[in-house]
Amino acid sequence: MRIDNAYFTRRKFLNSLLGGWLGTLAVTFISPIVKFVWPPFKEPDEVKLVFADYSGMKSGEVKNFVWGNKPGLLKRAEDGSFIAWVGVCTHLDCNVTWVADKKKFFCACHEGWYDENGTNIAGPPPKPLRRLETAVEGEDFFVRKPGAGAKA
Amino acid sequence: MKIDLKKVGAWFDDRLALTPIFKYMTKKEVPQHSHSIWYYTGSSILLFLMIQIVTGIMLALYYRPTLEGATASIGRIMTELPLGWLIRSIHSWSATFMIAFVMIHLLAIWFTKSYRKPREATWMTGMMLLVVSMVFGFTGYLLPWDDLSLSATKVGTNIPMAIPVVGKWVTQFLRGGDDVTGDTLTRFFLFHVCILPLVIFAILAVHILLVQKEGMSVPLKDEIEKKRVPALPFWPNFVLREVMIWLVLLGTVLTLSLVFAPSLGLSADLMAPAPAGVKPEWYFLFLFQTLKIFPANMGPVTGEFVAVVIILLTVVAIFFLPFLDNKPDKKKGKIFTWLGAFGVIYAIVFSIWSLL
Repeated sequence: MRIDNAYFTRRKFLNSLLGGWLGTLAVTFISPIVKFVWPPFKEPDEVKLVFADYSGMKSGEVKNFVWGNKPGLLKRAEDGSFIAWVGVCTHLDCNVTWVADKKKFFCACHEGWYDENGTNIAGPPPKPLRRLETAVEGEDFFVRKPGAGAKA
Repeated sequence: MKIDLKKVGAWFDDRLALTPIFKYMTKKEVPQHSHSIWYYTGSSILLFLMIQIVTGIMLALYYRPTLEGATASIGRIMTELPLGWLIRSIHSWSATFMIAFVMIHLLAIWFTKSYRKPREATWMTGMMLLVVSMVFGFTGYLLPWDDLSLSATKVGTNIPMAIPVVGKWVTQFLRGGDDVTGDTLTRFFLFHVCILPLVIFAILAVHILLVQKEGMSVPLKDEIEKKRVPALPFWPNFVLREVMIWLVLLGTVLTLSLVFAPSLGLSADLMAPAPAGVKPEWYFLFLFQTLKIFPANMGPVTGEFVAVVIILLTVVAIFFLPFLDNKPDKKKGKIFTWLGAFGVIYAIVFSIWSLL
């Protein structure tokens, strides 16, 4: 049935009404499903370590620590300060390792090399290792994302 | 009481109307010509799929998809369950054969140009089945949860990150977060045993229906000359030949599974450095090598991004091959045959190169 001067029939109007309502209903259900499937687990902003575990490190020595679900790398610099990196390759996310006799970081997946400052020097890595900040506060040793320190 | 089987049959037929299907199967004919051998590759894939379903269900009875329990549960399957090591070995070898036969099947159709009108949709569903089969392989590779499978999964799930905006979203979906963790393992298990089987059955149903609807294709030359190609009845003549081939393939898989059973490494440590010699399954090697030869940066974008885009475009082009190769009997058709040959040579050379 079409009312005079109407753009569409009553049937079409009711179909769109029902269809639109069903569509909206579906979307309201999809949103919580998507939120559940893509979980909120993110990388930590900072981790707290025990300073005593790292205070004895010699200059140039590299130790691992746990950065959320990935390894972190901690190096003692010449001046006694600490430099921290996320220990995964910037190419495709494999865990890198410190090769002490070559003084370089190495990723075995696609043979990527970084120098002792974390700069990519050979192989496929497109960027240097990701730097983290360090801070000693009493007996605690914090490793943080750059900029996360102000909040803590 | 005597049951009248004819009456029981008639009762079912009344309700399910199956007679036309049986009639079709008894009337179906398979053309006989110099390329008929390739017809058997399709049913061989079905054989391997059936082996995967049976052995997969058996393994899932004892497998535990958790960070702590995965490797140990496979160890238990291999050492404590009767013939458990063989079941796992068959599942692994049959997967290899399934992928190999999907590839042979695809190449046979490529070179005989059987995807030409009216079989374009059959080709496209076939390409979807190839991709699903490879995802099956990729998700299954992580399940033993040893060093190699962990690193291969980190690399594989990181590749989408090369694509701006949507890439990160895909990676988070695959991993269940920003990193590969125990959640990734649980997720991959779910993909492998629940979601992908549903997907593969749905696409396979359409694929097989289309094959029945259009019938088997005949060589391009015979079709143009409108030559009558001799045919073999599907039942029982063709099925008998299929069964013979199945037995040979089953014997081959069993023999290889007995002699070359897969090993099991130590349980993966999320904090350990990547082991040397990380390699994906053999059917990903040429892609692995392709990613490796691109430089770190190419102008404003990373080399990885360029590589991923090229690979994706190639897959899309192959998916739409029947429309690109729309004059199969002309000179243009020859170009696509040569492109296929180039693809095969490329894949073989790059796979060997990646092993050097």
